[in-house]
Amino acid sequence: MKDNEQKLSDYIDRLNAEQKPDEDEYSANSEELKELYRSVRLVRSLKEPAMPGTDFHKNLVQTAANPFVQKKASAKRKWGWLISAASVAAVIALLINFMIPVGGGNVVNAMEKAFQKVDAYHGTLEIVQSNANGESMTQSKLEVWADKDGRYYTKGLEGASQDFVTVNNGEQKWQVQPGRKQVHIFPAFPDVFRFQFELGNEIQGVKNASKTNVVGEDTVAGRKASILEVTPDGGLPYRIWVDKETKLPLQKETAMYNAIQYTITYSQIDFSDAIPESFVSYQLPAGYEEIQTSPEQIVTNLSEAEQIAGFAPAMPEILPAELVLECIAANQNLVKLYYDALRKQIIVQQETAVGELKPDPSAMIGSMYNGFVEIQSPVAGNPDLRSIRWQQDGIEYTVMGNVSLEQLVSSAESFMNGPLELPSMDEQGSKPQVEVPYDMEVENNEQKSVDAGSSPWRIDPVFVAQVFVSLQMSPEGITGEYPIDIEDLEMTENNGTTAIIRVNSEDAPSKTVYLERLVRQDATGIWTVVGYDPS
Amino acid sequence: MAWAVEKGFLYLFRFTVFACNVLKSLSVFYFADVKILTSADTKSIEEICSETWEALYRFVYYKVQNREEAEDITQETYAKAYSYLQKGKIAPNKYSAFLKTVAQNVLRDLWRKKKRRGTAVDLDAINPKDYAMDDPAESSAQRHVIESALTQLTMEQRTVIELRIIKGYSVADTAKLMNKQETAVRVMQHRALQLLAAIMKTNQ
Repeated sequence: MKDNEQKLSDYIDRLNAEQKPDEDEYSANSEELKELYRSVRLVRSLKEPAMPGTDFHKNLVQTAANPFVQKKASAKRKWGWLISAASVAAVIALLINFMIPVGGGNVVNAMEKAFQKVDAYHGTLEIVQSNANGESMTQSKLEVWADKDGRYYTKGLEGASQDFVTVNNGEQKWQVQPGRKQVHIFPAFPDVFRFQFELGNEIQGVKNASKTNVVGEDTVAGRKASILEVTPDGGLPYRIWVDKETKLPLQKETAMYNAIQYTITYSQIDFSDAIPESFVSYQLPAGYEEIQTSPEQIVTNLSEAEQIAGFAPAMPEILPAELVLECIAANQNLVKLYYDALRKQIIVQQETAVGELKPDPSAMIGSMYNGFVEIQSPVAGNPDLRSIRWQQDGIEYTVMGNVSLEQLVSSAESFMNGPLELPSMDEQGSKPQVEVPYDMEVENNEQKSVDAGSSPWRIDPVFVAQVFVSLQMSPEGITGEYPIDIEDLEMTENNGTTAIIRVNSEDAPSKTVYLERLVRQDATGIWTVVGYDPS
Repeated sequence: MAWAVEKGFLYLFRFTVFACNVLKSLSVFYFADVKILTSADTKSIEEICSETWEALYRFVYYKVQNREEAEDITQETYAKAYSYLQKGKIAPNKYSAFLKTVAQNVLRDLWRKKKRRGTAVDLDAINPKDYAMDDPAESSAQRHVIESALTQLTMEQRTVIELRIIKGYSVADTAKLMNKQETAVRVMQHRALQLLAAIMKTNQ
């Protein structure tokens, strides 16, 4: 019996690690184990499958098209010939591997797989700033602890944040500032700024890149590493050094922009089971003042929340199966429900609506049975976070989480009591009467410049339309106030790729402005005017 | 002598006709939907992979419940299906069904190998049920069976299953979260799954 308990536990552990189990329902000798393994598999089928990396399907094509693989499947008699051919191919592949830089798909997959096995890591992070003349200086040094649940602890060792301790333990985030003898408390989620070179985020960034190439080898902090050049969609290429032994990132070198470049290195890193509990347990140090940046109060049930907020918060009877209510917080006119969604988080915020909902300029506009819905996927400045916002019966709802858009939509629909219609990406909106020509090279350069922090207004379609209409009205240039007020511009359509802005001013030469995200179709993509309808 | 040669040719001819018929019937059996398509009907292997891989991967993952095996089996499926897809023998609206059938055969081979390693699993009893899971209505019914079986467990049993299997926590983490010893967690999950298997058997 004890043996079966252990075997069952090992089976669950292997599946949790997304690895092939040593024994399963088809290979087990015990009838009882077969049944138990099958039950585990069935229960596990309630959750979403772990999907492979983005390069997986590209590699599939290569594997499927590889003549050796096909012949192995179809012509079993030609073993001798095939083995010789395979040997020659292997030698050639080996030579190519050493002589020519290759695509980074395998390195990316290996990184992802290696990170899945990491429970927690501890390292020293050094951030070095370099200029175009090759002069470098250490900007800061941090001690970092992080785990796979997204909890972290950082302590400044050198630089502007020396001695600052920042912790997010999943329940709250705080920063200890010894100079001021203060501890600042923040909500744990959303955590807009975590720390640089967080391994999970870096690997995700590499996975989402449009191109990755292994461009060489190097030694970093005494460890042998492959150098991976990563080109984000429409962005400048940067480099990641991947440890050959652990298969995890060791160093990152950003692109040189405005003659400045940053190199972020784990000068030391090791892996463990967990962050020491004392590092992620909150305790106000003696003599320190606690500063609450989010004065919401944790309550035990909805009726307490109602008393504080002054309205009865909605709580649907049927929610997606993976959502588990973890905590309820309330403030005057506001209630927040914190859900755990299979190790990810969703917050449903309900607050008394004040005026009409004004959608964020970078948001898509969806619809529900009695109005429109603002969808930010992702939220600007935070690629992991998505949000859906709408007003209903005098309450403004925001459903926000680091989950997929589909998961967020189904959670939002539970609170809407109806379907949410996402804007169609394929739909060709109405065509402008006058087309405005553009130069893709200029737009690509502009996107890179915006990525580096210049002209942030280019990611706001309303602002881009305001500048366009203003320049139509004052072709010699804008001095002082814009001739058209931003309040006179109304976004009527936005599906994340194309947007239409209506101009509510008789003085303006255009009544409608048409925009497109030409380079990159996400929250970081710039908007360009592609046409207009004259007044 | 001439008679013997003539007889030999006759046997060879009959054998060839027989072999052709066997091959023909086998190909009809396996690829009933196969027809030779013009190049205008077909798609590149890249397009086929990009349109079908996710559904196929999900189908395989459902059966193996781990990424490592799901990736390997999906890859093997495309390698085996490649020549049929490349020659345009499969109609585009049948790609997904064809690939799932190939994947099912790859899984069958795998289970057979496991069976040879010392188990007595009845493959014929397993496969029809697994095929049925491809039907979304069946899959949703199966989901309902599992979910309603879970509700019949005690709160503690449900929690241990949720933490260990749905949320994927280790025994140590589960023990900490439930304020139990690790040994107690192993015993609890064993009992909970025994009970769950019995309930599902009765309900099905």
